[in-house]
Amino acid sequence: MNENRSYSTPQTGAAARPRKRLFEFKSDINPTLGLGLGVLVWVLFFGLWEFAVWSRWMTEILLPGPRTVLAALYTLFAENGFVADVLISVQRVLLSFVLACAVAIPLGILMGSFRAVEAFFDPFVSAWRYLPAPAFIPLLLMWFGTGDAQKLALLFIGVIWFLITLIADHTKAVSQDLIRTSVTLGGTRRQVLRTVIVPAALPNIVVAMRQMLAVSWTYLVIAEITAADAGIGAMMMRAKRFLHVDQIMAGILVIGVLGLLFDYLLKRLHRHAFSYLDEYP
Amino acid sequence: MNTNTILTVENVSKTFSAKSGPVEALRDVSFAVEKNELCVLLGPSGCGKSTLLNIVAGLEYPSAGRMLLDGVEVHGPGRERGMVFQGYTSFPWLTVLQNVEYGMKLNGVPKAERRERASHYVDLVHLGKFRNAYPKTLSGGMKQRVAIARTLANAPEILLMDEPFGALDAETRWHMQEMLLEILDTTHTTILLVTHDIQEAIFLADRIVFLSSHPGRLKTILDLKFKQGKRPNSKEELIQMEGYLDCEQQIVALMRSEAGIND
Repeated sequence: MNENRSYSTPQTGAAARPRKRLFEFKSDINPTLGLGLGVLVWVLFFGLWEFAVWSRWMTEILLPGPRTVLAALYTLFAENGFVADVLISVQRVLLSFVLACAVAIPLGILMGSFRAVEAFFDPFVSAWRYLPAPAFIPLLLMWFGTGDAQKLALLFIGVIWFLITLIADHTKAVSQDLIRTSVTLGGTRRQVLRTVIVPAALPNIVVAMRQMLAVSWTYLVIAEITAADAGIGAMMMRAKRFLHVDQIMAGILVIGVLGLLFDYLLKRLHRHAFSYLDEYP
Repeated sequence: MNTNTILTVENVSKTFSAKSGPVEALRDVSFAVEKNELCVLLGPSGCGKSTLLNIVAGLEYPSAGRMLLDGVEVHGPGRERGMVFQGYTSFPWLTVLQNVEYGMKLNGVPKAERRERASHYVDLVHLGKFRNAYPKTLSGGMKQRVAIARTLANAPEILLMDEPFGALDAETRWHMQEMLLEILDTTHTTILLVTHDIQEAIFLADRIVFLSSHPGRLKTILDLKFKQGKRPNSKEELIQMEGYLDCEQQIVALMRSEAGIND
C-alpha cells in the first residue's frame, strides 16, 4: 500500500521514471489529448441532450432532439430561403461594425495619444458605456421604425463606447521609449502617430475588434427579436409563433457557428498581418 | 567658448513636482562636450544623470539653465541629438534594415541613398546576416546594435546613450563596449554616455563627468590622462595600461563618498 508514498527514498527499476501528472499548473498537455478533451465535451453535450429527449423530460415539441434540429436546419436552408435571412443578419453586423470602427479607431488612438483629447471625450464615453444599449430600443423604434436603420443604430451604440475605451487603452500602452526614439530621430507629431503609435497599437486594436464583434452578434439578436421582418432573429420569432422549437434551435446554432467563424477569421488575419510579433493572443 | 565644443550645458537645474512636494533632481550643472569626444556621465544612483541626458535630448525641460549645440541654444528634441535607450527600442514590425532606415525615412532621405547608408551601418554593427530579420528573432545585444546603427545612420551631431548596455549580461556588455570603440575608429562620432558602471566608464570614456547625488551636482571632471589620448581596443589592453588601477581606485573612492550620504 505504501510504495507510492515514499517520496524521499529513491526507487529502483522501471517504475522509478517520474511520471508527468495530468493536473500540473499551467503546464502544456499532449495536443492529441487536448483535442480529445475538446471533442469529448461536445459528445457529452449531445449525449445529455439525446438523453433528455429520450427520457421525456419535456414534450418533443418543446425539446426536439439534435437530429430533428439538424433536419430543421436543412429544411430552412433548402426550402424556406433562410440564406437571405442569414445574409441580412451578417450584413447588419458587418455594416454597423465597420461604422463603429470608423469612429472608434481614430478617436481611440487620439484619446490614447493626447491627454487633452482624452480629458475632453473620456467623461462622455465612460458615461455612455454604462448605459445598456437595449434601453434605447423603444427610442430607436420611434426614431427609425423597424427597418435596418434601427438595427444598425442599436448595434452601433452597443459596441462603440467599449471599442473606443479599449482602443484608447491599447494606444496608451504603446512604449514611451518607442515614441521617444522616433522623436529623437527627428519625427514630427504626425510622423510619430503614423509610424510608431498606429503600427504599435494595431495588433491589440485588432484583438479589441475581435472581442467587440462577438458582442455585436449579441445585440444583433436582441435587435432582430424585438422587431424585424428579416434576419436570423426574425426567423426565430416567426418560428416561436408556430411552436417550431427545432427552427429556433437551428437559428441559435447558426448564430453560434457564424460567431465562431468570424472570430476564427479575425484570429487568422491577426496571425497573418502581425507575424512579426513574439506571441499571438 | 572653445571652438571644438559641440555641446554646452549651462547652469542646468531640474526640480520635479511630486505629491510630497518639489524634488530637486539637478542643481546648477555645467559642462561641455568636445567634438569627437566620448564623454561619460557617471555617478551614484539618484544623481540625476539620466534626467540630465533626457534634458540634453530635449525629452525633458530644465527648470533653469540652457543648452547650446554648436553655440546655438536648443529646445525640444531634434535629429542632431540622436539617442540610444537602455530598453530595447527596435520597432518590432520593421526588419533590421528597415529599422536602420527609419530615421532617414522620417527626414526624407531618398530611397536609394537610404538603403545604401542603412546597409553600411548594419554591416558596421555586424548584423549583415540579419538585415532582413525581424527583431523578435534577435538577442538583446543584437537589438541594441540595431538601435546604435539606426541612430548613427541618421547622422546626428552627437550620440546620446542612456545606459545602453545596462540590460545586457556581462559578456555581451563587453563585446558591445568593444564594438562601440571599434565603430568610433571609423565614424569619429561624438558621444555623451550615461552609466553607473565604473569599469564601463573607464573603458569607454575620454573624459568622465562625475555627478554627486541628491540633488545631482557636478562633483568633478576626470580627464583620463593615463590613456594618453588612446582608446584601448580591448578590456585586456585597458587593464594593462599604466595608471588604470589608480584611476579606478579614485573613482571607487568618489562613489563611496557619495553613497552613504543619503543611504
